[in-house]
Amino acid sequence: MPLSREAIVEGLQRIVEPGDVVTDEQILVESSVDNFRKLQNIFNVHTMPVPAAVVMARSTEKVVELLRFADEHGVNVIPRTGATATEGGLESAVADSVIIDGSAMNEIVSIDAYNMQATCQCGVPLQVLEDRVRELGLTTGHSPQSKPVAHMGGLVATRSIGQFSTLYGGIEDMVVGLEAVFPGGQVTRIKNVPRRAAGPDIRHVVIGNEGALCFITEVTVKLFPYFPENNTFLGWTLKDMATGFAVLRDVMVNGYKPSVARVYDPGDAGLHFSHFAAEDDCVLLFMAEGAAGIAKATAEGIQAIVDKHPECTQVPSEYIETWFNDLCWDASKITAEDERIRQTRNVNRTTEISADWSSINDIYQAARARIIAEIPDITMMGGHSSHSYINGTNMYFNYFFNVVDVGPEEETSKYYLPIIGIICEETLKRGGSIVHHHGMGKARAPWVKDEYGSSYYVLETLKHAFDPNGIMNKGTIIPL
Amino acid sequence: MRFTVVMDGTSAGAADGTPAGAGEGTADRTADGPSGGIHRRAAALGAFLRDGLKSDSAGASRGAIDAQLAGDTLVFYSDERAKDRLVALAPTRDVRLVRIEARRPERMAALLSARAEGGQTDLFLFAGGPAGTELATRLACRSGGQALSEVLSAETAPDRLSCRRSIYSGHLTGRFELSARPWCVAVDPSWADAGGSETVAHTIVSAIDETGGGGPDPFEDRERMEAPSSEDLAGSSFVVVAGSGAGDRQGVRRIAAAAREMGATFGVTRPVAMNAWAPMDRLIGVSGARTAPALCIVAGASGAPAFFWGIERASLIVAVNTDEHAPIVGEADLVLLDDAVAVLEELAAIVAAEREKR
Amino acid sequence: MRILAYFKVTPDYEALRESEWSAAAGRVPSSGGGEGTSRGPSADGGAGPGRGEHAGPADGVDTRYVRRILDCFDESALEIALRLSDALVGRGRAAGLGALSIGAPGAEPHLKTLLALGFERAARVHTEAALDFAPAATAALIAAYAGRIDRSDLLVLGARSSPGGGGTVPFRVAEQLGWPCLTQVTEVEPLADGRLRVTLMGDDGLQRLTARTPCVLAVGNAVVSHLRVPTLTDRLAVRDRQPDVLEPADLGVDLADVLRREGPSLAALEGIDRHREGVLIAGDTPRAKAQALFDARLKSLLEEL
Ligand SMILES: Cc1cc2nc3c(=O)[nH]c(=O)nc-3n(C[C@H](O)[C@H](O)[C@H](O)COP(=O)(O)OP(=O)(O)OC[C@H]3O[C@@H](n4cnc5c(N)ncnc54)[C@H](O)[C@@H]3O)c2cc1C
Ligand SMILES: Cc1cc2nc3c(=O)[nH]c(=O)nc-3n(C[C@H](O)[C@H](O)[C@H](O)COP(=O)(O)OP(=O)(O)OC[C@H]3O[C@@H](n4cnc5c(N)ncnc54)[C@H](O)[C@@H]3O)c2cc1C
Repeated sequence: MPLSREAIVEGLQRIVEPGDVVTDEQILVESSVDNFRKLQNIFNVHTMPVPAAVVMARSTEKVVELLRFADEHGVNVIPRTGATATEGGLESAVADSVIIDGSAMNEIVSIDAYNMQATCQCGVPLQVLEDRVRELGLTTGHSPQSKPVAHMGGLVATRSIGQFSTLYGGIEDMVVGLEAVFPGGQVTRIKNVPRRAAGPDIRHVVIGNEGALCFITEVTVKLFPYFPENNTFLGWTLKDMATGFAVLRDVMVNGYKPSVARVYDPGDAGLHFSHFAAEDDCVLLFMAEGAAGIAKATAEGIQAIVDKHPECTQVPSEYIETWFNDLCWDASKITAEDERIRQTRNVNRTTEISADWSSINDIYQAARARIIAEIPDITMMGGHSSHSYINGTNMYFNYFFNVVDVGPEEETSKYYLPIIGIICEETLKRGGSIVHHHGMGKARAPWVKDEYGSSYYVLETLKHAFDPNGIMNKGTIIPL
Repeated sequence: MRFTVVMDGTSAGAADGTPAGAGEGTADRTADGPSGGIHRRAAALGAFLRDGLKSDSAGASRGAIDAQLAGDTLVFYSDERAKDRLVALAPTRDVRLVRIEARRPERMAALLSARAEGGQTDLFLFAGGPAGTELATRLACRSGGQALSEVLSAETAPDRLSCRRSIYSGHLTGRFELSARPWCVAVDPSWADAGGSETVAHTIVSAIDETGGGGPDPFEDRERMEAPSSEDLAGSSFVVVAGSGAGDRQGVRRIAAAAREMGATFGVTRPVAMNAWAPMDRLIGVSGARTAPALCIVAGASGAPAFFWGIERASLIVAVNTDEHAPIVGEADLVLLDDAVAVLEELAAIVAAEREKR
Repeated sequence: MRILAYFKVTPDYEALRESEWSAAAGRVPSSGGGEGTSRGPSADGGAGPGRGEHAGPADGVDTRYVRRILDCFDESALEIALRLSDALVGRGRAAGLGALSIGAPGAEPHLKTLLALGFERAARVHTEAALDFAPAATAALIAAYAGRIDRSDLLVLGARSSPGGGGTVPFRVAEQLGWPCLTQVTEVEPLADGRLRVTLMGDDGLQRLTARTPCVLAVGNAVVSHLRVPTLTDRLAVRDRQPDVLEPADLGVDLADVLRREGPSLAALEGIDRHREGVLIAGDTPRAKAQALFDARLKSLLEEL
């Protein structure tokens, strides 16, 4: 017999301070969705099951008790920290879910400038950590656009990636150790070491689990010296994406590690660079950073490579630097964007995938063409590649559409999901991955078996082993 | 240099005089209704002459113009009863009266332009706000002179008038030079709160009646809305501002309630008004009101130049912000790093408890 | 009703860093006479490198590297004009809707967007000089276009621009056209008889009144602040339409002469010192901080007030 809402709330109140169990109706309703169905919050029309409570966890011990309680009574738990999720990871798929909010666990436990690592609780906003280590001349190297608002726990849970990934890597390259609590209340601490070969790397059971296996309470990430004075920006305009991908490949294959390496298609470039790029221009840009010699050699190497492509026209680096300085999304940009949507009903969505060099341009072209042909009311369909590797790159589809003739709550079914569907199909067809960095959430969970193929066995086994009662974030990664 | 102060005591044709309703966060200053604004704007002209206009003409040491004698005041009015109060505010000895049935900017500009033709007036000074800007601009267009609005201060030289005003939405101040005369200057609306000038003995040198000469009002069916104006903000000595850090409509309401509890006038930043979390008349900054309170508490605003312009003249600025790196932290006298709503509610409770005690 | 909406494309000043502003402070705009001080690709006659020079600015605010946006009050004005036009169409009073911008080709993409949104006419008056601080020249061009070329009878525009911000352009245009003018307009609704019901924030608060055309409506802090977005299909439908490009001479305006007489001229840029002490009031809880603030300063201050 599942517990009633009231019984769940009472149970939670026995574990934490009563004030830490939030049952305010508006807050609950707003917590039933994340950015995936953000129109429900923007227009205040809600259709998802309302969670029973949001409970603030203030220590690992409390998380242990909360998870034990949930596991015992089969209560669905949704871990949350910064609440910036974009793929439905925070959505309550079933009634009477409990959101365990770790944002109050916001202590920076230690910054070790000698061993170059910092430990913090899950609710530390990345921006806060970054500001603190910058005071010491260091950086985490992690800079997702949501840096001002996302927290360390969520960033690890989604396998997030930042703008400087080509140099520093994704979060998986930064996390050296962590602490997490599993459904039965089992606390796991993975120690902080430079490397280990003592069997499988179990960090990866936790990193990217999206709250579907465990609750991350603490993480330790690497630190790097910070030399902003050496930052060098380079930019070009060019006429087609194929060339852009080819240049990115050249740069990667030649062993250069710019922190930023991107190519924008004309639609996406139009949003950022219309003051110097023509309507049909793509924009290719790089940032080199690090110690003086490295930054200089990187910039020169890239310059030499692009110089071999006469179809690229160089632009003053100030354009790129100015753009770069205004890139992150803080709370006020998000509020302003919500207001823009409310007034215009013009919605901006993104879907990111990855693939090898041979396939990426085909995926981009095919998905783009199909979306324009098949989906109504599109106002912009474009994208960019922003994270490159030796064997391939990502494509960040960026698109806008007007929500016409349907209520805001139907935006996902009429527009967003069909577009995601096309992108996933075209990606899978060519052997790419349907998720580069936002997580599967609930939005892309329906494609999980196609994504994993025969390796789905491992995923499924992990889920059953660690969450036998299926209380962790139902519907996330693995669909209901 | 000779100047003419133009006082616009006409009302915009709405003969109703509906008092501005006291809405959310509106505290004082609405008692004397819309005409209160007319008087404040008129008084501002005296204050500007006294403190804002400097002369560097040869001989005289740099300093204030002899306001009483170097110019005259032209009073437009519609209502006999209101006239005397305006005349009392005139900063010059000589006063000229023009009666007109209601505000008719085009007609008034024509009358002023006729007056400018004599060439005796170098500088026409207008009140701040849209009405003053309109008259200054229309007069300059008609008389071949030059107009500048929202002037913070001015300095005369034999061949030009040098004025300062805010540009680039509060990011910079620009120094402008007016050459062709007459110089038609509308002062910055914030002068309305600089305190009036000393009383002057007046001589009415002329009084003309232009009623009926202006043709029909191009605009009809005027109706004053049941909404407060932002005038209370400009005159308030204690202002509480909610920025987007208030989080949502509810947060803004709670800060507004705390402000009311403390007897403060409530204002907001542009995003808060744009999100319709508070009415537009609560807006502070280059697009809204410019305040000059003794105390200003800024809760959850970053301190952007366009906003800060509106509180720059506060004697004491207290910032409540969760971000120690927010610009407002370096722009405030006192800083509380904490949640805007929580701190304001606590503060209101403390103020209320103190009031109980006494 | 023949509606003309005027808009300006400006650098995104909010994207400029504080250091840009402090660098600009103290600079003396080199040319008086109302020459604009904002320099950017729009001032050098073309978008894109290679076409304009990229030397550092000798004067003014260096906005070359920030993107271009619709000036915020003008964006409101465009959407308000569109909504008015929609309402008139709905009533069978088909309104011909036109858009005008002045300046370098930077406005071109926005004009095309407006065509896709159903504007019937879109024109740019080409000027090399930025007219940021030349309200008389701006007004002369708008008035000449509205009066001689477009023969519009309603002009809708933003109440002020972000660089200059004096709010005199609407009145100057009104003077030249001999039209009445309302500023700080927040809402416009058509009445059955062709007149307009206008809401505005005047000196004494919110007012509503009825206007006849011709007139100038200058939009202030309206709740409608964003322009709608055309679909790719809308864009395709007007793919072959180009905005008209006119020279000032085509309007009968001798721009050089107007600029020579333009005034006041901007003589210097000054920085604003916003710095204060920022003394931290410490405490463990919001309550403790509030109490500390109250004890330290507010108690005595509030007694005085
Ligand atoms: C404007 C914007 C820009 C963005 N830019 C980027 C970007 O550049 N790169 C990028 O990678 N992502 C980006 N994102 C996506 C998002 O910010 C990241 O996914 C981020 O990692 C989420 O962190 P959060 O703290 O907000 O987590 P939340 O939104 O709270 O949660 C995200 C997911 O992680 C789970 N979770 C949260 N906390 C825990 C925990 N303690 N233990 C276990 N599971 C947990 C949740 O259940 C959920 O499934 C962006 C989002 C927005 C809105
Ligand atoms: C032409 C033009 C005219 C403009 N005119 C005006 C104007 O008249 N008035 C005006 O205000 N703006 C105006 N602006 C906008 C202005 O530039 C800024 O964008 C605006 O002032 C920012 O408002 P804000 O401080 O509320 O929001 P933000 O800049 O988003 O700042 C929010 C602040 O709240 C803090 N915060 C977040 N959460 C909390 C919390 N829980 N508790 C405490 N603090 C928190 C954040 O740290 C941040 O500092 C204008 C802009 C333009 C272009």
